[in-house]
Amino acid sequence: MSPVRGADIPCLEQDPAYDVHWPWRDGPLSQGLTCVFRVKNEARNLPWVIPPMLEAVQHVVLVDNLSDDGTPDVAREAAASIGAADRLEVHSYPHRVSRAGTEHLATRHDSVHSLTHFYNWSFSHVRTAYSMKWDGDMVLTTEGVGVLRDLSWQLHDSGAIVAIPRHPLWIEPGGQVAWLDLGFKFLEPWVYPMGPEFTFVKAFEWEVREFPETSQRLIAPEGLCVELKWLDQDEFSHWSAMDFDESRAPRKRREWQVYSALKEGRGEEVQGLHRIEAPPGVHVIDYVTDTWLPHAERPLVRRGRRIES
Amino acid sequence: MVDAPSPSAGPAQLLDTAAGRRIVFVVGSGRSGTSTLSGSLQALGMHVPQPEVDADETNPKGFGEPQWVVDFHDELLRRANVAVSDARPSAWFEAGKLNNVEPVRRRLQEWMEQQFVEGGPELVVKDPRLAWFMGLWRGAALRCDAQPGYVTMLRPVTEVVGSKQRYYDARFGEVNRTAAWVNMMLHCERATRGFDRAFVRYHDLLDDWTVPVFGLGQRFDLDAVKSAAANDIRKVHAYIDPSLRRVRLTWDDLDVPKRLREIAQETWEALDQLPDDGGDTPEVRETLDQLREAYAEMYEEAAAISQSTALASRREGFGEGVRSTQKRGVERIPHWVRALVPGFLRRGARRAVGRERG
Repeated sequence: MSPVRGADIPCLEQDPAYDVHWPWRDGPLSQGLTCVFRVKNEARNLPWVIPPMLEAVQHVVLVDNLSDDGTPDVAREAAASIGAADRLEVHSYPHRVSRAGTEHLATRHDSVHSLTHFYNWSFSHVRTAYSMKWDGDMVLTTEGVGVLRDLSWQLHDSGAIVAIPRHPLWIEPGGQVAWLDLGFKFLEPWVYPMGPEFTFVKAFEWEVREFPETSQRLIAPEGLCVELKWLDQDEFSHWSAMDFDESRAPRKRREWQVYSALKEGRGEEVQGLHRIEAPPGVHVIDYVTDTWLPHAERPLVRRGRRIES
Repeated sequence: MVDAPSPSAGPAQLLDTAAGRRIVFVVGSGRSGTSTLSGSLQALGMHVPQPEVDADETNPKGFGEPQWVVDFHDELLRRANVAVSDARPSAWFEAGKLNNVEPVRRRLQEWMEQQFVEGGPELVVKDPRLAWFMGLWRGAALRCDAQPGYVTMLRPVTEVVGSKQRYYDARFGEVNRTAAWVNMMLHCERATRGFDRAFVRYHDLLDDWTVPVFGLGQRFDLDAVKSAAANDIRKVHAYIDPSLRRVRLTWDDLDVPKRLREIAQETWEALDQLPDDGGDTPEVRETLDQLREAYAEMYEEAAAISQSTALASRREGFGEGVRSTQKRGVERIPHWVRALVPGFLRRGARRAVGRERG
């Protein structure tokens, strides 16, 4: 703890507003699960992302990082539309954060510009015993809401962490057709207990969350979450280099391959990529999350094609 | 171009695709009238998957429980190391883990689909074990395009414990049964929160079943109830016997520690508000949350105090386990050698050592 400012992680830039103060030091955390979003310009996605998440968990903390598309207001509107405005907490993090990759590597872990510090600061707003990180482009399916809602009270003080597979969904302009990538299982631990053993530390390309080796690890079933990718926008702008290291960033490599193939009209050639067309008047995101995925044959991703972050 | 959705667009569309399929889950503690409700809905025309568990002296009118469901749950409970009546708050996590096992999810989905095909669009599923696996059932219902509804039966804790003491295995004493009731009911309420649900008092069902059952028909849009014919109604009248409430006990009849008794009583009082119109309020749910935390804390303390007993049991169990894997006396002799001994001599030898076969 900082002898000067009393913070658990004082930031390098010495701005007390962006020091990290861990909530468990103030007393026991309440039961439940809080979802933490760190977002930048996600106004397009949040109408699909926020409502199902608020159906699943007790609280949502949304930390906006220099958006210029009205992201915080869209989040508030989405929460209010389902009567859950009181369970959404919006914060602003007004510092430019290093891009994943080489830029991140060159940034000190306790700088306000570091992904690591950004994550730790964001999670310091959680007041429940469990927390999960979630991206502003990830949509829970109807089945996902049910599973996460159960976990939000069942995990309790189990100490377990939960990995949730996600499936990239590439959406064509117009919103009627999308391509669901079931060629690989993208598996990442998302749900963790809150506590000193579960904080974020710096890794090479990005941050990682620590957890004891003895932690029980649950893997949620497939089909709970899709990650929105819009083919009419550059999905790789937040990376500082396109030279993905195959061994360290296989997920990004796969995404780049799929993106390139779709841009060149070669989607049918990519193994595991499914073209899905929604019925007239239904957005393909709704169609995939509410109808297509619950009825799709299992396993969704064939054995041996799993990528873990 | 399709505009961004209004947040309710997804669920609304899902309801449209449900195409009239309904599944009602009857949950709650055993001996709370779950069989009575399940049997009533069945008499009105809802389908209880067949074959059912046979009636016996503990439930002479039948259980209304599909045998497949009981076997399925027993298997899952064994895998999770959870008892039907389990007082551990952590048992919910242990049982809930199976909700993440895709082959189990798929198995249930396939069975449920078959029941809809064979039994029609309105199913009722009841089993006291069901509460442990509600997530699994919800997932299967979703995949089968069925709209789930949950009915939790409520009966005063003292009567439930008294009834269980009378009809079930006497190994579990009043204290453990009371704790298990608290654990079951508090988490059962938690697990159905936010979903289409109803609470029915056992006493209300016995006093005048038409009121709560009509309410269920409206709430869950059950065609079997809404369009019940006179003969169906008569069947339910014949089925429900108001004298079913044979066990009437109060706290004076039970020897339960004060703190557990207080939590159990407060739990009952909070739950008892839920069946009333407008009774399922945030305030009641908040009270139940606090009781759940208080119960978990009390259980943790009790477990810490009795840890020596648990460790001794584990040692004893381990010892028995080791002994059971060691071959005793005659078993060390190969079977083919034993087979050479004439039958009458083998039987005589067994009699002599007191190990006759039944």
